[in-house]
Amino acid sequence: MRIIVILGRVLDPSGIVVKGSAGRIFVNREEYLIQPADACALEAALRIKDGMAAEVVALPRSPLPDDDILRQAIARGADRAIYLTGPALKAADEAAMTGVLTAAIERLGGADLVLIGSTTLDTGQGQLGLRLAEALGGAQITGAWQVSSADGQVQAVLQRNGRYVAVEADPPVVVTLLPGALKLRYPDGVRLINVYRGVGEVGDALEAWDAADLVDEAALTPLVESRGKEFAPERERGVRASGTPAEMAQAAADALRQRMRR
Amino acid sequence: MDASYLDLLMAQQEEITEEAAGGGGVWVVADVVNGSIAPVTLEGIGAARTLADSLGAYVYGVLLGAGGADLAQTLYQAGADGVRVADDAGLSEFALEPYLHVLADLFEAEQPEVVILAATQQGQELAPRLAQRMGGGLIEHVTAVTLDEATRTVQGAVPIYGGQYFEILACPEARPQFLTIEPGTFPAPFVDSYRKGEPTLLDVEPATPAVRVIGPAEDFEPPPVPLKQAPVIVAAGRQVGGEAGFALVQQLATALGGRVAGDRGARDAGWIEAGQVVDVRGVEVAPEVYVAAGIRGDTFHNAAIEEAGFILAIHPDPHAPIFESADLGLEAEPQDVLPALLEALGD
Repeated sequence: MRIIVILGRVLDPSGIVVKGSAGRIFVNREEYLIQPADACALEAALRIKDGMAAEVVALPRSPLPDDDILRQAIARGADRAIYLTGPALKAADEAAMTGVLTAAIERLGGADLVLIGSTTLDTGQGQLGLRLAEALGGAQITGAWQVSSADGQVQAVLQRNGRYVAVEADPPVVVTLLPGALKLRYPDGVRLINVYRGVGEVGDALEAWDAADLVDEAALTPLVESRGKEFAPERERGVRASGTPAEMAQAAADALRQRMRR
Repeated sequence: MDASYLDLLMAQQEEITEEAAGGGGVWVVADVVNGSIAPVTLEGIGAARTLADSLGAYVYGVLLGAGGADLAQTLYQAGADGVRVADDAGLSEFALEPYLHVLADLFEAEQPEVVILAATQQGQELAPRLAQRMGGGLIEHVTAVTLDEATRTVQGAVPIYGGQYFEILACPEARPQFLTIEPGTFPAPFVDSYRKGEPTLLDVEPATPAVRVIGPAEDFEPPPVPLKQAPVIVAAGRQVGGEAGFALVQQLATALGGRVAGDRGARDAGWIEAGQVVDVRGVEVAPEVYVAAGIRGDTFHNAAIEEAGFILAIHPDPHAPIFESADLGLEAEPQDVLPALLEALGD
């Protein structure tokens, strides 16, 4: 069984401060994490590999300036990782990455299971995995807590209508994992050192592929572009409700309902 | 004043007639919840109406389900110029492939300019598949839209890091432009109860869901959400009103689907464990909603809740520092307000 894991990185939000009044984002500590939901996808892949013969290959969810998170995936147990490079890739959005990743998966010989986080911590985007499902012609299972494989099928546990249900589908399947679903294991110390040194059994586990060898340059043109940032007005704090306890409670209930609808 | 003649006049309003097929337009895919059109769909119709009026286009609603064709009038009343209805037993509950099959066929024929779906499970599953199939761009979790009229491009504001700021995204070339909109972020449109139309029924070809439900996952227990990541926290303080007040805090946490926490006073009283203390020396939190009941709010506590999205404070002392951090403050004894709050939330 070949399992593809799609991994992205995100700037640690605890290292940034957003000042709406100044219209600026201050980065106090530039530290990157594996996208939390993608980390769950990696752990799910490694757990399947723990129980059966499987090859786990890590691919990036977006253009990466370095291959650090892919080396970390290898250190944690992934068999291979492909670092996608090329100048044309730099501006790729989810639609462009779908084309590149589909071509990369085809070059790898296809996939039985693609695992990816259901959402990104920063932008909240969840479209890449489902675009991949469409491009690969596979089934999609979204928002999984657990993933397993048996009898040639892929099984998962989801929450639907307030209940947990088990579902299954025939490969190829794209499964998106919820953030917090699984705790990512620690890297193996020896593999970690060897993957950075390029020696040992993981010495050649990381490969770099030029995106231009996978798809035409025109396919890398992003469909979505950024047209700037907006900052919400400063919060008005210190507002007090007045009236009887019942009236105040009603005001609080209305405010809570409005907030929780969002 | 007798205004009944207005009713008569309005009732004579002509039925809405649609433009011929193939005219682009702004389309809204409806979410149906418990047999009713979801509020977010009406909000989508309102947003679509605004965009369509600037574009000189029509608004179309798409309704999929079983036996819910009557709901089409709700879409007309909210502002749709045309409604397509796929009424089939196989569409009674959302399943990806049957819904995708209907919508992909419809949109291939109609070539929409803009398609709006809700940022719900249904919309979030459908939109990427449709966008990929049709070569369209997709902007997810949009909370506001503007229009670049020169290029007929919709610009969507997308919250970053949970809304700390917003990125303005646009699909300048690709058509259709797909958007998923966040529930509750667009105003509900005016509902004109005199507006009506004749929906077009779609032919539905059966499609089998690729994912099969095996059954309930009875043994499954989700991992506990760390307090730091809990989306809703209800916290008790020393002045919550004793054991009885803390019981009300627990009830409120259950009602809101949140976690119980507290300040050091609550821990000293033995109501919570050390790992539930919200404080810069304990756990710093960033929930969407934080309710502080009977917490006075010292510097260490208030600094630990700085990143909370909405803070409701309940405390009898009008000078309690917690009120300076709160978005809404109630100057009252928690045991007086919490029962009424639970009742109001239950309505």
